[in-house]
Amino acid sequence: MGVLPDEIKPAMEGVIPAHVATCSLDGTPNVTALSQVYYVDADHVALSFQFFNKTIKNVRENPYAVAWIISPESFDSWDLELEYDHSETSGPVFDAMDMRIEAIASMTGMTGIFKLKAADIYRVKSAVKNTDERIPLAAIDK
Amino acid sequence: MISEKLVEFIHGPVFMAIGTRNEKLRPTHTFVGGAIVNQDRETITCFVPQHRAEEIRGNLENNGRIAMAVGSLSHESYQFKGRYVSSRPTDARDVAIQEIHRTKLLALMLQYGYQEQIARPLVLGFRYQPAVAITFRVEEIFLQTPGPEAGKKIA
Repeated sequence: MGVLPDEIKPAMEGVIPAHVATCSLDGTPNVTALSQVYYVDADHVALSFQFFNKTIKNVRENPYAVAWIISPESFDSWDLELEYDHSETSGPVFDAMDMRIEAIASMTGMTGIFKLKAADIYRVKSAVKNTDERIPLAAIDK
Repeated sequence: MISEKLVEFIHGPVFMAIGTRNEKLRPTHTFVGGAIVNQDRETITCFVPQHRAEEIRGNLENNGRIAMAVGSLSHESYQFKGRYVSSRPTDARDVAIQEIHRTKLLALMLQYGYQEQIARPLVLGFRYQPAVAITFRVEEIFLQTPGPEAGKKIA
């Protein structure tokens, strides 16, 4: 059994953008929004490499990252502890992610801007569901 | 100094998050429920939910390094990097700022065409109080809008 439970999968459909934090070797943190944290298998996720940004640079010198993802079904949020493993520029994960990024881009007016260069594969070290973070839906509607 | 345009941008409605790191260079993330640029226009005070604040404050007291991402629904985004100044519990004025921000953000999401059953729980459904007001001095500002200029230092 892997780290990621099945119930986390809706949070990785790219419906609600994720946040990812990393840190450079000189100790400067970086945080950014990301279209999608892509489910690879129960122990791995992929993050999109679209531009050569600070996240990409940071994890190649200090492989640790954290991601915050939200399920569009339950609105539960999850904290993922990640460790960068390798990058893929072809193959089934890249192709599936590329298609997904294009779909997200077309739905958000970013066609031609979102373009996948690589799928960065991370090992998931932990996945914690934030059970106390939500205000119940019934309370919001009051 | 933070430009007038960016002061307006930070005051929202926008989505925000901060990143810090510990002594082992392991990053930590938390969402932010509102922020204000202070009158000096060199410091930002952001509101972090109490249940996520302990680790953040520990990191900040240890090394002071902080990054805050600020993004709008139009995808325009910036990142503010700097050094920790102080923290305190939020007061009534802070709570009012948070509530105004949440209301404006929900209205904007609906205006953008997001379905209410997504927008309401996303904007209103996370515990934002009790919260801690964290102030940091901005040292660098980066453009983060998706595109080839993403990551460019602008101040």
